[in-house]
Amino acid sequence: MSQLAKVPTTAKVAKKRKWRGDNAWGYAFIAVALVVYAMFTAYPVVSAFIISFQEYRPLGSVFIGFENYINTFSDSLFWKSIKNTVVYTVLTVPVTLFLSFGVAILILPLKKRTQTAFKAIYYLPAVASGVALSVVWLWIFDPMPSGILNKLLGLFGISNLNWLGSSSTAMFSLVLMAWLSSHGTSIIIYLAALLGIDESYYEAADLDGANFLKKLWYIVIPFLKPTTLFLLVTGVIGSFQVFQNAYLMTGGGPDNATTMVGLLIFNNAFKYFEFGKAAAQSLILAAIIASISFIQFKFFGKNIEY
Amino acid sequence: MRKMRVLALVLALTMSLTALTACGSSNKGNSGKDNTAANNNKTENSGKSNNNTNSEAKDTITALLPPVSGNFQDMFQQMEKDFNELYPNLTLKIEPASWEDMTQKLDTQVNAGSPPDIAFIGSEGISKYLQQNMLMDITDLATPDMVNDYDKTPLEYMKRADGLYGFPAYMEVHALGGNKEFLEQAGIDWKSVQQNGWTFDEFREAIKNGVVKEGDTTKRYGFVFATAGVTGKDYLNILIKNAGMPAPFTKDLKYALTSKNFLEVLKDVRLMIDDGSMPKELSSVDAGKRWNMFLTGQTMITGKGLATFENNARQNNEKIKANDGSAVSGSIPVEYIVLPVPTFAGEEPISSTVVDGYVTFRGKKEPTDEHKANVVKAAYFLASGKVAAMTNNDLFAAHITKSARDAAASMPVDRNPDNVAAVEKLLSHANPPRPDIPSDLGAKAIKMEDEVIVPKLQALLANEITPEDMYEAVKAAAIKTFGEDGIVKD
Amino acid sequence: MALYKKHTGKQTVKYTRNTSIMILLLLFALATLFPIYFMIISSFGDPVEAGAMDYSLWPAKVSLESYKFFFDYSEHSYRWLLNSLIVAGSVTVSNVIFATMAGYAFAKIRFKGRSVLFSILLCAMMIPYQVTQVPLYILIVNIFQIENTYRALIMPGLVTVYSIFLTKQFMSSIPNEIIECAKVEGCNQFQIFLKVIVPLSKTVMAVTAILTFMDSWNTFFWPFLVTNTMDMQTIQVGLKNFRFANTTYFAPMMAGATISALPMFILFFSLQKYFLEGVTVGAVKG
Repeated sequence: MSQLAKVPTTAKVAKKRKWRGDNAWGYAFIAVALVVYAMFTAYPVVSAFIISFQEYRPLGSVFIGFENYINTFSDSLFWKSIKNTVVYTVLTVPVTLFLSFGVAILILPLKKRTQTAFKAIYYLPAVASGVALSVVWLWIFDPMPSGILNKLLGLFGISNLNWLGSSSTAMFSLVLMAWLSSHGTSIIIYLAALLGIDESYYEAADLDGANFLKKLWYIVIPFLKPTTLFLLVTGVIGSFQVFQNAYLMTGGGPDNATTMVGLLIFNNAFKYFEFGKAAAQSLILAAIIASISFIQFKFFGKNIEY
Repeated sequence: MRKMRVLALVLALTMSLTALTACGSSNKGNSGKDNTAANNNKTENSGKSNNNTNSEAKDTITALLPPVSGNFQDMFQQMEKDFNELYPNLTLKIEPASWEDMTQKLDTQVNAGSPPDIAFIGSEGISKYLQQNMLMDITDLATPDMVNDYDKTPLEYMKRADGLYGFPAYMEVHALGGNKEFLEQAGIDWKSVQQNGWTFDEFREAIKNGVVKEGDTTKRYGFVFATAGVTGKDYLNILIKNAGMPAPFTKDLKYALTSKNFLEVLKDVRLMIDDGSMPKELSSVDAGKRWNMFLTGQTMITGKGLATFENNARQNNEKIKANDGSAVSGSIPVEYIVLPVPTFAGEEPISSTVVDGYVTFRGKKEPTDEHKANVVKAAYFLASGKVAAMTNNDLFAAHITKSARDAAASMPVDRNPDNVAAVEKLLSHANPPRPDIPSDLGAKAIKMEDEVIVPKLQALLANEITPEDMYEAVKAAAIKTFGEDGIVKD
Repeated sequence: MALYKKHTGKQTVKYTRNTSIMILLLLFALATLFPIYFMIISSFGDPVEAGAMDYSLWPAKVSLESYKFFFDYSEHSYRWLLNSLIVAGSVTVSNVIFATMAGYAFAKIRFKGRSVLFSILLCAMMIPYQVTQVPLYILIVNIFQIENTYRALIMPGLVTVYSIFLTKQFMSSIPNEIIECAKVEGCNQFQIFLKVIVPLSKTVMAVTAILTFMDSWNTFFWPFLVTNTMDMQTIQVGLKNFRFANTTYFAPMMAGATISALPMFILFFSLQKYFLEGVTVGAVKG
């Protein structure tokens, strides 16, 4: 009896001690990460923030307030590039998620050896250098009848298209490139997450007589929510910042049909030497991405506790 | 409990520190590379205390160089050695970069306030860096000997207003290249064209005659020019120079591309494609493709054509003869003929000349006079004498210094004499440099080109807009940028 | 694995199911693999210029000339691979250790300011790298003056927000009961981490390792910026050197790209076994 009386007080004290102790532990664990972050990520970001209010000159910048921002908002090319980027993102990110999820699910039931083989096969494109691959893709999209895609179309009697040179197909070509190449990472992540689902859940569902689809819907998808959120957020961030493909394949054309925000920022920073403007554009871009991510977190962020 | 926490923290910090120091010490060779400004101050001090001549102090000069010619980057070590022999107290440190990435790297370094002392870039880039005040004016430091060694015109390209910002390496003419056999088949008197030029109407007929069709497919085009991506800029520029618009601004600094001649050129661009003499897919033809088409006989004339292509064609011919499978597959023996660009609207021909050179930079800290002098010595070393002779020979580019010509006298060059004469003719009406164009106007023109002209040109080539549309768009953007009074109206 | 019915009675049903799955997967794989196939095939061609490039589906002649060209091209070709290995290796090890720790902290340890800090970390990911490069360059070159060293290549990548985010997401699905059990037994956080979390997170640590290595190996711009001499360049920077004044040496570039893809394969296969079993099994019951 006396023991029971003791429990509440010791529990409270223990809780308080644990809570305070946890604070210190938490910070200890993230200490190194925080230091690296502060130096190499936070500092450049803060610098960029400051620069966005200046007309940046290496020998001494001039503070010009919001001028860079105002110029950006009134620049029609900027809005066009945002539109292009949004279109690109909407067309590629969900498709990638879908495809990698599908592939991961399909790989699951196979024998171990086969699993490994397929994992390696899908992993391979992610591993190859983007620069080398873009050269290959340029050949695939060759508008002359000798180009691979046009050869394929020729079999169906369709005349060759100027894939990268005409504004109606340029964006589609870039999207096609993304559909066929960037899945390796997502597949690996999804697979890893799938393997973490405890057998007992399936067994319980089996006892209830659930079929494949029900198990998918009630166990797998909820369990994979944190992973899906991760892939969605990082996918959007990555796709909004995309730049290399457009730069190497079309240079932003024709007639700015494939100019992405990343390319615009790049041009402003390096071609026209208007670094302040580039910084302002980057921050606007970051704000857009942040709001989208915020919405994503709200939708998908609830943690599942079992 | 506390001990564990502290231990964990200490462990984490120690691990990161060891990682850092261990990695750092594994690279002894390069840790001595200082910021040249800092290095400078040291030498400055030791020089003063010495009370001796400045040129005795040790100094390092950094240069960022792309592969100017095929063997250029192999020569770096030799060049550094030769320079050091010439000036024992000076070290030349050369950083290699590839053409595309060169600008990105240089621009980051300039933006950060620590560019290399010398960088090899096109002379039109000088305005951009001048605006940022990151260039070093060497007018006072270049000795009269150095200045007199150069031909006047290329040197002018490296000047802006009153300052000289480096030494030119070569002056190249951008023209067209023709297949001798096909030209003769089409009945074109190329020797006369080389010396007398041709008008657009003559050119249009000529390329029509060069087209060979098999039923509905064109087996051989009359004319191909690389216009994919940014190379579209080259195409337009080379044409408008011969249309009375050799520079983006007229002598009284009005924007020139709003002239009606510009509309003429745009219409003619479309005409050549619509005639069937140029491929419909022109906007996707890049440098590799245009050369491939030339070697495989799919086109009679290719552009842009540099004099050095003659060498490339000859090498391929030899590979075909050797029959060892290393020649371009499907290629035929081709004799490369230098051809001028046609003139438009009755204007005088002006050759598209490009001057690239070694431009001198300064960092955030004002460099000392000695360092400046040393940089000039290094730039001159690279841009004249033996080094220039070797590079220019590889490029089949004309020598622009007396010292290089002397050095080159002993180096054999195997060129078609007709081509040599043609290039001389083209150089005789080279594009006059315009050091009077203020850098901010120059920067605006560059932006117009990138954001309006090139994108619209790509759409024009893809037949998505008419020449009139493009002309109106350019005019509207020009008015917005330069004002109603800042443009040419005719 | 029990997502699919384990015992379907007939052997043939299982067999057909598996085969049809494999066919689907193969078809999709073919589409994604085609550019890679072409890359490898062209690497067996002759070292000629791009203008001379002949694009064919099957090599006319198989030779290792381009590989030889690649290694002979610069005396530093081997060094490039070594540099990439050192940089990517260090960054991977440090990320696995510290990002896992941070991910666990953000996921499971309740400490003050946890969510605010995490959001700040995440926001930094959203700024495009073009803009952060210049201040970072100023920091490394002008302030720290360590350009052209391994330190400059490694330090910015020691812990990435991406890895922290990844590990946090994975660890959030570890049941809290396990942690509570350990706490009841008197373990402090560090012991919990070592004895309980790490064994359970082998998969995510393997994934982090692979992804970090891959990202570091493939990155071009930062190494390009901070290296001044050819002997300090990484493989991606070295590969770009094959683009000359007017041509690109296509086949050697592909050869280099193929070679540079190899270490990642080796890494993948060695970390492979962590992918095969979900390790949370039985942890709760036991």
